[in-house]
Parts: sequence; C-alpha cells; structure tokens
Amino acid sequence: MRSNPSPSSSSRFEGCTLTGALSVATEVRDAVCVIHGPAGCTHHNFSLLHATSLSNDRPALPRLLSTSLVESDIIFGGEDALETALERALALSPASIFVLSTCIVETIGDDIAAVCAKDRGVPVIPIPTAGFLGGVFETGVKNALAAVASLAPPSSERTLSANLIGEKNLEYGVDENAAEVSRLLKRLGLPVNLRFVRGIRTHDLDRLGAAAVNILREPALGPIGEELKRRYGTPYIESFPTGLGGTCRFLEEVGRACGIDTPAAVEEERAYQAAMLERFDDIAGSRIRFQSPHPILRGDPEVEAICTECADALSLTIDPEGVAIPSPYPPPVGTGGIGRMLHRWRVLIRDRRRG
Amino acid sequence: MAIRFICHEPHPRPNYPCGLNTDPMKQIALYGKGGIGKSTTAANLSAALAEEGLDILQIGCDPKHDSTRMLVHGTWIPTVLDLIRERGDANITVDDVVYRGFAGVRCVEAGGPEPGIGCAGRGIIATFQLLERLDALKGDVIVYDVLGDVVCGGFAMPMREGYAREIYLVTSGELMSIYAANNIARAIARLSRRARSRCSLGGVICNAKNIEGEAELVEEFARRINSRMIAYIPRSRIVQVAELQKQTVIEYAPESEQAGVYRDLARLVYGNDTTSIPTPMEMDEIESFALEFVQV
Repeated sequence: MRSNPSPSSSSRFEGCTLTGALSVATEVRDAVCVIHGPAGCTHHNFSLLHATSLSNDRPALPRLLSTSLVESDIIFGGEDALETALERALALSPASIFVLSTCIVETIGDDIAAVCAKDRGVPVIPIPTAGFLGGVFETGVKNALAAVASLAPPSSERTLSANLIGEKNLEYGVDENAAEVSRLLKRLGLPVNLRFVRGIRTHDLDRLGAAAVNILREPALGPIGEELKRRYGTPYIESFPTGLGGTCRFLEEVGRACGIDTPAAVEEERAYQAAMLERFDDIAGSRIRFQSPHPILRGDPEVEAICTECADALSLTIDPEGVAIPSPYPPPVGTGGIGRMLHRWRVLIRDRRRG
Repeated sequence: MAIRFICHEPHPRPNYPCGLNTDPMKQIALYGKGGIGKSTTAANLSAALAEEGLDILQIGCDPKHDSTRMLVHGTWIPTVLDLIRERGDANITVDDVVYRGFAGVRCVEAGGPEPGIGCAGRGIIATFQLLERLDALKGDVIVYDVLGDVVCGGFAMPMREGYAREIYLVTSGELMSIYAANNIARAIARLSRRARSRCSLGGVICNAKNIEGEAELVEEFARRINSRMIAYIPRSRIVQVAELQKQTVIEYAPESEQAGVYRDLARLVYGNDTTSIPTPMEMDEIESFALEFVQV
C-alpha cells in the first residue's frame, strides 16, 4: 500500500472476482444479489461496497443475501441452502435476482445454473464468480455485465444516443468521469441513453439496445462491446477519452460511428482545453519527474504519454531532480480529468517551492 | 529387488499431539478397489480380533455407510455426518455415534452425501475431527475401512499422522484391482514423505476371485511394490451365505474353514510389526507386468 493512500488510487484491478461482479450487479437497484457461499464472502463485500458508496457521498446499502454455508452444507451439497436463500430473496419482491458463486461452491460442484433455471416469476440469473478459477476483479466485472445484459430484450428501437458501458463503480471519480464523457457527447448532440451498469433499475435495461454507440470504459471490456455489437449491431468506442489529443480524437471517433460531423465540436473542445491549460500558467517551466503510483504497478505507456503531453503543453521540464509526480492510475478521463490531475501537480509543485 | 522393511519396536508408544490416545493402540486401514471385499474382510477381521477379547473399533469411511453392517446384523446405524447435519456437532456424544456389534466390536459409520452432490472427502475430515473431539478413537485396534479410490485429500485422512500406521491393500488378481492397489501405494509413498509421517504399508491381502495363478500374481505384485502378500483369502460361498444372513462369517459359521482363514488373517495382522514404504509401479511397468501373467 502507499504510505499516503488517496481515494483516487483505489483501483481494484487484481481483486476478488466476486467483488468485481458485485460492483456491477448491485448497481441494478431493484435486484437482489444472492451470494452462494460462506457468510464471510458476503460480509466482506457488503462492507467494501458500503464504505465505497459512503466515500462517494452516495450512501446506499447493497441488497446482498448470503446462503451462509457451513461445513455440513459443503459435505452434503449447498443446493438446498441456495433454494432457501432464493425464497428469502423473493420475499423482498425484487425485479430480478443475481446468484453469485464463490470458490467453495464451484469446488464441490453445486449446479447453480440448474437451481436458477426453475421458474420463480422473476428472472434469476447466475453469475460465475469463483476467483480460484483464474479470474480477477475484472473477470467478475465482465461476467456480471454479460449476466445483466441477458435481462435486456433482444432488440429495441434505435435513438441518437450513447450508452456508457462498464463504468468503474468503485473508483473515486466514477460520476465525475461519466459527467465528463456526457459533456463531450453533448458537443455532438448525443444524450446518454443508459449507464450500463450504474444506478439503474431492471426495466431500464429495455433500452440497452437503443443507443447509436456504446462507449466502453476501457479496452479490456472489448468482449462486452463485441457481444452487444453482435446482439444489437451497436458500434462501440473502446475506451473513455484520455489525453488532450486523445479527447479530440474521441469526439471524431464517436462522430464517425454515429455519422455526425465533428470539426466544429473538436474546435470548441480545443479552445476549452486551451482555456483550462491557461489556468495552470503559474507552474509553467517547473521541473518535475514522474514516479509509479504503486511499487507493484509497472509504468503504463499510455499514462506516460498523457503525462508527457501535458508537461509539454505547460512547458514543464522532465528532470530526475524535479518534483516527484505520481503517475495517475487509471489515466484521467477527458479534459476535465486532466484539469483535476494538473491541479494535483500544482499542489505538489507549490509544496516543493515552499520547501 | 531388495525389499526394505521398516521394523517397529514391539510396543511403540506414539507421541501423538494434543492429548490423543497414548496407548500402544494398533491402528490399521484397509484400502482397495471398490467392490473388492474390503468391508467383508474388515468386518471379519474385527470380529475375529474381538473374539480374542480385544477391544476393537471399526470405522467405515465411505458415504455408502455399509462397512460395519454385518457386525450389527444388517441394521443401518446412524452416521456421524447425518447426526452432525441434524443436531450440529456440539450436541453429539460418543454414545450417539458408536454402536456395539458382534463380540463387542464398536462400530462407527462416517456416512456422507448422496451420490453426485457435495463433498464426501470433506465429510471424512469432519468425521475424524468429531471423533477426536469426543475422544472416541481408542481401543486395542482401530480398523479404518476406506472407500475404493483415494480421490482427494479427505480419503487420505486415515493415513495422516496420528491415525493408521499400517495400511493393508486388499486386491484380487484382476488387473483393475491391482491397478487400484498400485494407485493407493502411490498415495502411501507420497504421504510417507511428509515430516513425522508414520504411515506405511503393512502388506497386501489377496481376496481371491479364483483366477488361475492368482496367489502368484498378487505375491509378485506385492514384491514389486516393496511389500509382501500377508494373507490369501480363497473365494468361498459361505461368505455370500453369511452376508445374506446379515452376519460375518465368524458369527454365522464359526466352525467353517473360511472362519479359520479370517482368524489366521487377524493373527497375522495383529502380530505384524513389519511394514514398508511402497515403491509403486509406473504405468508401462504395470502393463508389462500384466502381460507376463495374463495368458492371452
């Protein structure tokens, strides 16, 4: 861990598969998530989701239910315990139920899909989330996105709008990042159709196929973009915008995908970026150096390119003796994200000047 | 190939951890292919030892829970795992899980899940933990009767430190049965590499199927895995007849020749203080071994 952890570094890339899946599935607000495993798996994730929502000023108790397996359930099989938990879940009148597996139930081979297949009046969707099978946090996110997508109807009427796909619900800047992308899309006259998945209800998924373009949060979600393209024919942009030039290219890409003319929008954004950079005139010419945000994270060439681009734009000099600037992780989103990053640079540079 | 045997002192006093039994108690386990006659052999062995006035505990380690059935006249005694499931393990006493059978043999069945669900291996581990907590693992001899294949760590439980020190492989001359026995020898060899391991191979018991040259074949197999055939049990109709009467041969036909065979086995096993670390055969070796003995 960093000696001075900040909320913005709360990336959970290599965490538990179950946590990744819950970060998505619990955002379907009228669903209940049943976690099939020992009570501790649920408690741990409940605490984490609750704490994260509090730190994002969005207090919400995730609707989690545990099958609370004990040793005799493992020996005799946990399927009966899952049946019982599903009854409890149904008593909460959810619009949908997700059933998430854990390492131990996948080890003993409980047939979760078979239990879920029984007709209960509401959709009961299994999400495979046993981490020991080689998955990480991100695997859980992808499995959950695919599972939630299965609740959407096979087709819907196309509108000139965009979906945000796979937002990082546990990152500190999740809503700021969505607002930034939404600001950029507005330049092209595109409203956001569906945040897939953040703060939605089950019936909102009826709109999943209606967007003209899907904006993936990051390239790793490619398989989800492909799947939605296969189902609805929706083209996708593989990542939220990053970097000054990258943000302008993002506008061009989205325009191409939707058949919208972009030169005017790009011109406006360039002017907006120039105005943003002007606010940091006071640190122009400073000496800085970049360092990894965490000892276990290797330098990301994409992030390095963005940092160098910003340093050039502000005539900062890269110098081994310069002020140590932690590389952002994940990379800042859009022009707004760069503005917040430069603000942190300025704080560090001023601290050094004061000595 | 020279046979290397480990000789135990006549009355070993094992230094068991956490207050486990410190008597010079003999703990043995029978392993072998499913259906080869482990339970029949174990029940008759227990009956013959009990006849001699020894205090015997036989523990069936198989979800089928039929190891001790012939000792209790065909009744199905409650299994440890069913009791744990019904009552929770805090509310179980020794009397709930140990049942007296023929000649006072104390019988325990681990039990386990229905076929095709759950984790039977974990069930064996839970059973052993409960029996230890209840201080039920005592007597002159404990006989562990374990299901055919050591498919996971749970079924190797009786071979772990503090439990069976002598493993007996039950096999016939049929190749699949020899093959299974060789696999179990691999488990013994593996576990014997662990620090403080006391588990070793006591010998091979040939439970005959009346195949030509069967005794020689099993003898040679035993020799090749660095062990010896300790007993040959001929096939006898009386075993099936006794089983239909839901009794051991020792009880049903105490004067029969077959009862004598089981009493001899009991004497040999009880007096056996020579064990070995097995050297299991490789697959190609076992195949060429088969070709030597089987007339095509």
